Amino acid sequence: MRAPVLPLLLLVLAATIPPSDRLAAQAAPPAKIQAALRRVYGGDLRTDSALIDGATVYRLARGDSLLGFAQVRNVKGKDQPITFMVATDSALHLRDIDILVYREAYGGEIAYEPWRRQFRGKGPSDALMPDADIRGISGATISVHAVTAAVRRTLQDLLRWRAEGRL
Amino acid sequence: MSPFASQSLRLACLFLLGSAVTRPAAAQEAAERTTIGGYGEVHYANASGPRTPGEVNVKRFVLFVAHAFSDRITFRSELELEDTKLEGGQDGGEVALEQLYLDYRFSDAATLRTGLVLAPIGIINETHEPPAFNGVARPLFDREVIPSTWRDIGVGMAGNLPGGHGLNYRVFLVSGLKAEGFGGSTGIRGGRQEGKEASFANPSLTGRLEWARPGLRLGGSFWYGGTAAQDSALGAGTFESPVFLVSADARYDVGPFALRGVVARIAVNDAKEINARFGTDVGARIEGGYLEGAVNLLHFLAPESRHKLNAFLRHERYNLHAAVPAGTATNDGYARRNTAVGLSYKPLWNVVFKGDYQLFRNRAARGESEMVSLGVGYQF
Repeated sequence: MRAPVLPLLLLVLAATIPPSDRLAAQAAPPAKIQAALRRVYGGDLRTDSALIDGATVYRLARGDSLLGFAQVRNVKGKDQPITFMVATDSALHLRDIDILVYREAYGGEIAYEPWRRQFRGKGPSDALMPDADIRGISGATISVHAVTAAVRRTLQDLLRWRAEGRL
Repeated sequence: MSPFASQSLRLACLFLLGSAVTRPAAAQEAAERTTIGGYGEVHYANASGPRTPGEVNVKRFVLFVAHAFSDRITFRSELELEDTKLEGGQDGGEVALEQLYLDYRFSDAATLRTGLVLAPIGIINETHEPPAFNGVARPLFDREVIPSTWRDIGVGMAGNLPGGHGLNYRVFLVSGLKAEGFGGSTGIRGGRQEGKEASFANPSLTGRLEWARPGLRLGGSFWYGGTAAQDSALGAGTFESPVFLVSADARYDVGPFALRGVVARIAVNDAKEINARFGTDVGARIEGGYLEGAVNLLHFLAPESRHKLNAFLRHERYNLHAAVPAGTATNDGYARRNTAVGLSYKPLWNVVFKGDYQLFRNRAARGESEMVSLGVGYQF
């Protein structure tokens, strides 16, 4: 009689664990997230947060004006999660992305500004594809593809959440 | 009501929702992860002459296993099977560890790397997954001059130089080469110990400085170390019979075009003594390089396609006898000129179908040959 309880419990638990992108593993230190948000949006920032589909979304405002939304996610590179932040304006166009923690043995150049700045101004309707509208870095191919695709998915999620009235 | 809570309410929110929906924070910090990856390539090669049959081979099957013990400590390994299988008394076939090291990451600028590591020299030695290069076989330069896959046991540091200038470095102290394996036609290749009960009589220093930005990567590498291995004729000193290698490489991608090139120069200081001791003919200087240009034809034929069809041309020019010591005759057959032209079709960035034609020539015009090859490769 007791036997099926444990598997059922495990199934329920498994079903509540969100997709790997959002919670695969490591978190970035909160201070690092705050510093990254200040860098993108400036000081005197009001940061609200909400859990949507199990992941924290930040809503940034100054005074009464909404500045945008941000989310921190992990995406698997070659063998480690890359912790990155997507920061948009209120119309869900990217103000910037940030690489918060990079743990791979190679390819760390994606954290540098020359690569990240290609994302600025891009939105949910942009292709966001390596070698199309995002230039890759030879020797960092895996990280370039992983982070570009993950940024694209994040923007799609934000767009959907906004359409559903959850942002 | 908006789902957004103010910062002060966030903890309560996490407490209420988090316990049901997210994993506990402590589990996130301590999560251990094991990752399996790999690459492989299957080749068809037909050497010149209509009557020579082609040959097919599972050239490489490589399993990559990594484990993160924590956010800072990671183990990585590559186990390779070459030529499908090993059989006693038969040629070919090899099972080998290509890499096995532990990383301790202190910061983005400093990771302590210990174990069997790749020499950070040239392009192919560190980036040798089949979708990462054109041509079915690796360039011969990356076999005969830079002896890929070149790896040794040692300890060193890797990281990004602070300041965000796009510079990164790797520097290792490793067990070195042994002069006993050097040869005229193979250069320093036979001197590699590859971490197999390797002598540490001649610890060698190798390193690399790279600069990368979108579309461009430039690198400079070196290797310096003795090779005598306390041989009675060559000497017992740590830096006895040194080999000194310097190399530079560049990769440049712009639109549908990709250019890459590598040059290297190796000085074998005591080539005279080495040749006398082991009855061989290694050059005192080995030098050369290659240039490769590629263009993605689908950029013009099917601009909407995400696939790639790269047509490439590569020319290698290197001389294993760029200089010879007194008592060794220059062999013009070691002054090689190899040309390859072919296609690489990549439906995805990590899967490739290849075909090429290679022409092998040398200054002595002896044993020149051609080869047609086909291959498939993948990495994940």
